[in-house]
Amino acid sequence: MEEINPAIATFVQEAREQLEGLEGLLLDLERGTEPGQMDLVQVDAVFRTLHTIKGSGAMFGFSTLAQFTHHFEEAFDRVREGRLAIDQRLIDLSLRARDHMTALLDSGSDGPAADELAAGQEAADLLAGLAAITGEAAPSGTAAPDADTSNVISIARMRRWSILFRPEPSALRNGMRPDLLMAELAGFGTIDMAVDVSAVPPLEDLAADECLLAWRCTLETNKPRSAIEAVFIFADDALLEIEEIGGDAADAQAAAAVAAPAARQAARPAANSPGESVRVPAAKLDEIMDQLGELVIVQARLNQIAGARGDAELESVAEEVERLVTGLRDATLSVRMMPIEAVFGKFRRVVRDLSAELSKDVALITEGGETEIDKNVIDRLSEPLVHMIRNSMDHGLEDADRRRTAGKPARGTVRLSARQEGGEVLIAIEDDGAGLDAEAIRAKAVERGLLAPDAQPTTTELHQLIFAPGFSTAKALSSVSGRGVGMDAVRSTVDALRGSVEVMSHPGRGTRVTLRLPVTLAIIDGLLVRLGEAVFVIPLSVVEECVEMEVAERRRESGRTILQIREHLVPFLDLDDVFSRPPSTEPRRRVVIIKADGARIGLVVDDILGQNQTVIKTLSVYHRDVQGFAGATILGDGGVALIIDVAMLARRAQAERAAIRPVA
Amino acid sequence: MPQTALTKTLAETAHGLRRPPGIPDMVLIFTLSGEAFAISVSAVHEILDPIPATCVPNASAFAPGLINVRGAIAPLIDVRQRLRMPPATSSAEARVIVLELPVGGAPTRLAILADGVEEVIEADLAALEAVPELGARWPEQFVKGVAHRGDGLVILLDTETLFRPDPSTGHERPPQA
Repeated sequence: MEEINPAIATFVQEAREQLEGLEGLLLDLERGTEPGQMDLVQVDAVFRTLHTIKGSGAMFGFSTLAQFTHHFEEAFDRVREGRLAIDQRLIDLSLRARDHMTALLDSGSDGPAADELAAGQEAADLLAGLAAITGEAAPSGTAAPDADTSNVISIARMRRWSILFRPEPSALRNGMRPDLLMAELAGFGTIDMAVDVSAVPPLEDLAADECLLAWRCTLETNKPRSAIEAVFIFADDALLEIEEIGGDAADAQAAAAVAAPAARQAARPAANSPGESVRVPAAKLDEIMDQLGELVIVQARLNQIAGARGDAELESVAEEVERLVTGLRDATLSVRMMPIEAVFGKFRRVVRDLSAELSKDVALITEGGETEIDKNVIDRLSEPLVHMIRNSMDHGLEDADRRRTAGKPARGTVRLSARQEGGEVLIAIEDDGAGLDAEAIRAKAVERGLLAPDAQPTTTELHQLIFAPGFSTAKALSSVSGRGVGMDAVRSTVDALRGSVEVMSHPGRGTRVTLRLPVTLAIIDGLLVRLGEAVFVIPLSVVEECVEMEVAERRRESGRTILQIREHLVPFLDLDDVFSRPPSTEPRRRVVIIKADGARIGLVVDDILGQNQTVIKTLSVYHRDVQGFAGATILGDGGVALIIDVAMLARRAQAERAAIRPVA
Repeated sequence: MPQTALTKTLAETAHGLRRPPGIPDMVLIFTLSGEAFAISVSAVHEILDPIPATCVPNASAFAPGLINVRGAIAPLIDVRQRLRMPPATSSAEARVIVLELPVGGAPTRLAILADGVEEVIEADLAALEAVPELGARWPEQFVKGVAHRGDGLVILLDTETLFRPDPSTGHERPPQA
């Protein structure tokens, strides 16, 4: 069966999300590991997650995953019953077990890949670790020893239970599968099962989707009562009676005691996610976005026609359409928005593991996780962020001794923050480490031929060099970073997202790297400019101002071309030169001042035509490598205009300056 | 020939028949500087009247521009450049042929300019002849072969090689980096 069953795909998707959530829960538990700080709600949530993955994994052909999860679940079952305390060892083991589950999930349903993982060293280590914890749990005693039940249950004694299970009539409609529950129960030992049909009405009154059956069984098993209850954990509204046959008085007491945890479990899984939501494949959103893009283009055309006709009635309709399209655009864009927390959350684990690996005590502070950004941006963001956090922790933060000498707290801080500013989201990674070593950067840049030996770059220009391809100042190669894929990988990802990167660093006080990213990739506000007959679009978000060419005094200093705009000197590029066009013959030209990569640059054009909403279309394989363009768009008149890649031009302008400077 | 008839033939071919092996392929015949060329109809998406193109600065001569095909932006490919033919002169018969074919593994829509579009015919691919040595004005990697049509010849183009992106299309890296 080559085609992926959609139900399986959904299971994989959901399990992956649950595993991500699990990581967060485990880290929360770790944070609260001070004695007596155990959070029962979170322990329950961990247990529920494991139980769900186990159950649905087995259902969808991931039995290797289900079997492994079972052992993991067992441990948390003990925690839940207060028979096992949460300690560092359990958390470490749990995080590794979670990673192993992710690997099993990624290896696909049962097959050679999953078997290989299951037979591997990691699986064996984890199972041994879990067995050691669960095995010694009872004797070692815990913070809350529960002598009444645990001592009895932990002995693998065969006991007989009488179980009555009567699902709620609507259970089938809610997706409950009594057959699977009973099958799970049967797996516990020897079962004798009878179906009680006494509540089933005559055929003519029977509603096919109502469950009026009840199951009565006798189960002989060495499993504890909690395991039996766990089978029915999601059947909250069902009538469930579990009684031990021939149990003594202590067990009768225990039976009474289960009433309490059962009530606690009655919190439905749905209650975890407030509000109703619908899961939609991302491709469908892309399709809506495409259609909307066309609509925006048609609407621009309608405006143009209405304007040309001078028909008041038509104009008012065009205005109305514009208002609706803008509303629809905003609503559609907002659907694609996700809080950046989705990415930030991952870094808690990265920082935790790296702290251990580097033996540096590091606190991660995240701020602005609620800031929303386009899903497509989020998807491509996590890799560069991981890289930057690694850099901060490995190269930025000093070790504890050096920090103390410098009068700083031994524990380093990495701050990850996000905020929205206009049409951009600013993401900053900040550390309180040693700062960038300007001399080391200079030496390395000269060695790599990125800088002339006698060049006098400004500090900002020096800092910017860390983004040059192949640049890495790591003195010793560590397993963490310094593998040659330096910050240039970060920059190329950010470039592809049409964003920019800035660095700020103070020696001894730390470094801040700021990513500026567009909130959305699909539609931007553009400034239309003209060069001869051709029209180009400059993203409005980078435009600072537009001035007449005569206003800006054109100066030539030792061969470089700069404009003086009021009190500022701004280097400029004539787009005719950049685009290999014949020099313009227009007497009056204009300069668009843009800001990119922390620098101001003037772009000389023939005229400025106005603003528009620009639907960005990516260029085909035939033009992807042509420098200077971030995409193309369709104008109101149906023509095609190219969107200028400002970051590339800015870099080009700076490179020209840098190339000239040593001569000066 | 009237365009409506041609469009109809195309539609019938595209939707109706699934050509079993051994049955002649359907090809679209178009002209460039008086020569007849053929391209498999399976690659043809639509045929349009000429529309203004936008020049892409610094792009290769092989893919000089972009056009708007019903709200989608398609690269305009100059096949004359690859076939070493002189630049097009404008003509009332000129058409834009929009193709959809795999380029580098991804389905790609692109457009070519033709001096005129003639007809859709069945071409027996088995009866293709190699390009005669003497008449080999076209780089042979772009030509699958020639077939007879009436008194003349039709050159069947190899869409796979003809539309392969030029490795020197872009300037890989800025010279200063």
